[in-house]
Amino acid sequence: MYDTIVIGAGLAGLMAAIGRAERGEKVMVLAKGHGTTHWTTGCLDLFAEVDDPIAGIIQLTDQRPHHPYALVGLTMIEQGVARFRAICEAAGYPMVGNFNRNLLLPTALGALRPTAFAPATMINGDARQLRDGRPTLIASFGVLRDFFPPLIAANLRAQGIAAEAALLALPPTGRQHDFSPVILARMFDQPDFRARVGEQLAAFVRKGGYARIGMPAILGLKHPTEVVRDLQNRAGALIFEIPTLPTSVAGMRLYHILENALLSLGGRMQLGGFVQRGEPLKETLVAVFSEAAAREQRHTARRWVLATGGILGGGIRATPEGHLRETALDLPLQTPDSRSGWFAARFLAEQGHPVFQSGVRVDRSLRPLDASGRLVYENVMVAGSALAGFDPVREGCLEGVAIATGWAAGQQ
Amino acid sequence: MDHIELSLTQSLDHCIKCNICTAACPVAAVTDAFPGPKYVGPQAQRFRHAAQPVPDASVDYCSGCRVCNQVCPTGVRIAELNARARAQMVAERGMPLRNRIIARSGLVGRLSCGPQAPLVNLTLSFAPARWLIEQVLGIHRHAPLPKASTYTFQHWFRRRKSTVAGRRPKVVYFHGCSTNYYEPHVGKAAVAVLEHLGFEVIIPPQRCCGLPLLSNGDFPAAQKHHQYNVAQLLPFVRAGIPIVGTSTSCTLTLKEEAPELLGLHGDDVRAVAAGTYDIFEFLRNLHERGELRTDFRSIERRLPYHPPCQLRAHRIGRPVLDVLGLVPGLHLDESRADCCGIAGTYGLKREKYQIAMDVGKPLFDFVQASGQNLALCDSETCRWQISGATGVETRHPIEILAEAYGVL
Repeated sequence: MYDTIVIGAGLAGLMAAIGRAERGEKVMVLAKGHGTTHWTTGCLDLFAEVDDPIAGIIQLTDQRPHHPYALVGLTMIEQGVARFRAICEAAGYPMVGNFNRNLLLPTALGALRPTAFAPATMINGDARQLRDGRPTLIASFGVLRDFFPPLIAANLRAQGIAAEAALLALPPTGRQHDFSPVILARMFDQPDFRARVGEQLAAFVRKGGYARIGMPAILGLKHPTEVVRDLQNRAGALIFEIPTLPTSVAGMRLYHILENALLSLGGRMQLGGFVQRGEPLKETLVAVFSEAAAREQRHTARRWVLATGGILGGGIRATPEGHLRETALDLPLQTPDSRSGWFAARFLAEQGHPVFQSGVRVDRSLRPLDASGRLVYENVMVAGSALAGFDPVREGCLEGVAIATGWAAGQQ
Repeated sequence: MDHIELSLTQSLDHCIKCNICTAACPVAAVTDAFPGPKYVGPQAQRFRHAAQPVPDASVDYCSGCRVCNQVCPTGVRIAELNARARAQMVAERGMPLRNRIIARSGLVGRLSCGPQAPLVNLTLSFAPARWLIEQVLGIHRHAPLPKASTYTFQHWFRRRKSTVAGRRPKVVYFHGCSTNYYEPHVGKAAVAVLEHLGFEVIIPPQRCCGLPLLSNGDFPAAQKHHQYNVAQLLPFVRAGIPIVGTSTSCTLTLKEEAPELLGLHGDDVRAVAAGTYDIFEFLRNLHERGELRTDFRSIERRLPYHPPCQLRAHRIGRPVLDVLGLVPGLHLDESRADCCGIAGTYGLKREKYQIAMDVGKPLFDFVQASGQNLALCDSETCRWQISGATGVETRHPIEILAEAYGVL
């Protein structure tokens, strides 16, 4: 019997679990697999629609009282982010930025993406610095797929940034093929490998006078801060990472940091445990059942946090008949009445598509409600993208809501 | 198409190509001979057809550790796809003699165990003999081989005097090949614990669970083993008597691997699967019902514990930590290493030995850094691998529990 079982191993679930473990509870995270951390940039988007995320959030909470940010309130947002940053800092991986002005960081296409906090390994790529007129080099290896320095540099130039591109020669590795971001990141953790890369970067800097070098976010899985510092010293220029397509090394780092924090607090993790149903007793969730070999496993806890994600993360699925379903506990969903209401007429409609605001409606304590506003479970809290009433990707608040609501679920 | 085939086929479409499996795969991390679970699993599967030759042999470098299944966020059954692809390859191209031998752990055990065991063990510890075996058979000369026992566990069990009397609840013990031929002490500990808890232990005739055959791709032979075991175990299951095993890979095979990989879904197979428990899973269930004795002696020790891949594949959490956590003074440090590398018979093979050692390195480092002279693990081949690589003694957790109960 656990004090709290958290279902889901993304940012929301891990932050909730850490919060509860810090209060001395016996905690387990039960998840189907790795979280969506591995799919995202490894940055912390708070609110991307305006320059000043906190001002935007204050305005948002006035206009949309059912938005998850409005439910948990500004204090919980700031506390959650502060705790998250402290955990990263303690792991030697500081998250840099501020609440009042979004950074603008290049993507793997050379677009500029607003985000509130980014790992220190990315911070030198802020567009406000890149526009200082000094040349920037975008560099990568030909063997890394889906990251094309000439494309990135061309798109940055179109936005007034003096960027050029270079392909680096891959130092000898004993490997002939399959250079995924993670494989390359492990190589960067090794001093000999990055010394060879550093030599090449230094040669480019001598020739082209680059002030900054942008590289894919593969600069170390275990020791990224050290790798970037080392490369900067060798190259004689500032280095910044640009997030890659999944699997995202920067996202994995956050997952590992939070997992370590939870385990060191005595928490447990069980992956591969797909929760399929709950066992209610009136308004109390007594147990959940996860899929296992030959039969289900029954888990019991006093309190539960559902942090299984939304449509992107797999916490919400569509049936072939066109209904949306919450996959773990079959909680009621707030969602368009029928399939015809899922999408706006235009693909790039400014307001986004209604289906992506689907989720579980909750009270101010994040406890699930049904369509008539009645409490479903008094001992369940919902956190992250499983919540209704917001569009995490379009609003640019995926990590912010995950951390704020996850932290709130860990405190109440 | 049965429901397993269907779910395998459908699970292909759940793959969103996120590469989380490849990022987590311990084999792809150390060698490019294996391009990763996504490529040989859901991706290559689209190019496989029963009537066409196998397009890609690299699936043979999958160790079957199932880390991919464990981390996949969309539920693709990658390890099953790979195991079946390997079987198709074996059916098409045949099986090397080496694999035919190491896949038959029952036969090898029978030949090694008994009065001749000291001679067998001496020969197998003799470097020139191992060199010869490597040259002729392709079993790596440094690969960890277990020491044969001079007597079988079954022989010991038949000859002993049971300590329990009167009507007791019954439990069937599935000992597996390793306990029978190499490590009878594991079985003795299991019997002692179960009898201490008031059970009458029954040991019906049983054969190898067939896992080594499954992982080497000989499905027809594995099916014969499984059908034999189901026939032997079924009467007990029908009578409501649980089957428990100390070899976590045997219990996984009875529960899931054999039925799913072989496509056996009859009522009898299902009943045996549903009635089979890893021994610590069984003990944890007892504890949850308040039926586990907790009259433990205190054991003031801090020991490294590795939950093996085959245990994690049960998807039941960490029953050893839950149960041994009840023993006063005992503290287990859980390894977070993905795999010891051996993966049953994988690391014995000449061409795969180094891969297995590289895969296991984080675990070996963890065990050595613990500074302890004993490590715990639920799986026999993993224990042999850990001990072989680190020189640290390894035991099944049931042996520590028996010690805590004071029944050894």
